[in-house]
Amino acid sequence: MIEVEHLGKTFVDTPAVDDVSFFVPEGQVLGFLGPNGAGKTTTMRMITGFLPPSTGRVVVAGVDLDQNPVDLRRNLGYLPETVPLYPEMRVDEYLRFRADIEGVPRGEIAANMDYVIERCMLGDVRRQVIGTLSKGYRQRVGLAGALVHKPPVLILDEPTVGLDPNQIIKIRELIRELGRNHTIILSTHILPEVEEVCQRVLIIDRGKIVADGPPEELRTRLVGNPVVRVRLEGANGAGAEALAGLDGVIKVSPVEVDLYRVEHAPEADPRSSIFHLAVEHGWTLTELAPERASLEDVFVRLTTHEPAPGSQPQSGTEEAHDA
Amino acid sequence: MRKVVALVRRELIAYFSSPLAYMVLTAFLFLQGYVFYLIIAFLNNPRTEAMAPLRLFFGGTIFFWLFLLFVIPVITMRLVSEERRSGTIEPLLTSPVTEGQVITGKFLAALIFYIILWLPTVIYVLILKHYTAIDLGPVASGYLGVLLLGILFLGVGTFTSTLAKNQLIAAVFAFAAIVILFSVGLIQQLLVSSSAIRQALGYMNLWTQMDDFARGIVDTRHIVYQLSVGLMFLYFAAKSLEVKKWR
Repeated sequence: MIEVEHLGKTFVDTPAVDDVSFFVPEGQVLGFLGPNGAGKTTTMRMITGFLPPSTGRVVVAGVDLDQNPVDLRRNLGYLPETVPLYPEMRVDEYLRFRADIEGVPRGEIAANMDYVIERCMLGDVRRQVIGTLSKGYRQRVGLAGALVHKPPVLILDEPTVGLDPNQIIKIRELIRELGRNHTIILSTHILPEVEEVCQRVLIIDRGKIVADGPPEELRTRLVGNPVVRVRLEGANGAGAEALAGLDGVIKVSPVEVDLYRVEHAPEADPRSSIFHLAVEHGWTLTELAPERASLEDVFVRLTTHEPAPGSQPQSGTEEAHDA
Repeated sequence: MRKVVALVRRELIAYFSSPLAYMVLTAFLFLQGYVFYLIIAFLNNPRTEAMAPLRLFFGGTIFFWLFLLFVIPVITMRLVSEERRSGTIEPLLTSPVTEGQVITGKFLAALIFYIILWLPTVIYVLILKHYTAIDLGPVASGYLGVLLLGILFLGVGTFTSTLAKNQLIAAVFAFAAIVILFSVGLIQQLLVSSSAIRQALGYMNLWTQMDDFARGIVDTRHIVYQLSVGLMFLYFAAKSLEVKKWR
């Protein structure tokens, strides 16, 4: 649905985006992750045709940006990071305006407006002047404006930034729902958002893609084997040896007396055998929790430019260092 | 076409939701009323030679030009610069509209506002008509001249509005450009010795062009000059908007 090939943008002398290529199939929600200034917005602006690329090409829904920018934009809904709106217009005036300039057929405008007003929960501010709305409402008005022509492709630049936690949950739900029948590129630096909403993550740093894959895969690939924390009261130091003998356990490292980190092979979950082990020895099992390395760790590892103490050099990290 | 209409409607909403529009309308009416009063007083003087009374109203006084020179930049300054400042230019230009459509919509909205500005002056014509027999021909051509000047100057203003993110800077640019256009025919003409150039500059003299219209002379050369320069600036505006993306 979205094809990006060797896309690059150089501002004066500094490359902001450098040889970025990826393909987003129809119906995928792609999370675009990166620290501030990594080139997320620049890449998105190039896909929407707002910023002409220095190199490379963009094809959205079979339309080449170079050959037919107007047709390409018809298939695209874009919400810029700053959510620019016309403060003097009323919500319905604005949506009507967007529907008109997006070329929604006259007969469908009312239905489309009702649809986005319902989806973006704007029913109670329909006639309100945009300038008087709170940040959360404005965000939703912006999203509604990007959706009013029912585009198959959505580009959302940090759609939840500046919202309160309840609003964030609602917007995420909405995006997840939209993901069922839209192809979405979503940029963010909020990591749980990506894990919650996206099927695929693309981490970009200093204008280059440093990692690409489903969130879970990235986690295991870059963080290593899964770990369970086990607290065995009454084991008095004997636990480590016993735990190490279990199937699938790779390494046991004591954290405190009776508290252990048990690293195990991803395919073997040792938790039930740990329970039986405890029962067998008469130890009291007071803690048994998988230590989920979050995507946060992946992100920090990929985008920190000094090697983190104790971290193994990873495939993606090397590239980042060279960049 | 529908997209242009939508753009015009949006611009008009923006005009009439800002206090500036009403300030301009009020000041304009106040000034025109004052000018009308002066003209009537002047014409009532028995020593004044007989002439078409509204000839002075259309461009015959310095007030007409002074106000036009100030008010046009105020009308056009926010057209594009405000969109660039607030960032609304981004969703606008990433929707399926062309730069040409955007400029056309904005220019037409400015022109409509300008026409609304002039509309109440029809009352003066009606007042005069009530008290004296007036020839409506020169009045109609006078309004045509006002419209053409509007197209020319608003075109310039639309263009300068694409040049700056700051409205005030856009307004200053517009003011400078309009003053140059206005004076190139009027003043330069007096300074050049070559008669060919002087004649060429004479064709560009907006004051005499306007005076012709006010006297009821509809000269196609004036129409062609004002329309083509106005359209040229609109073309520049669309190109400038296109180029701005490359920055």
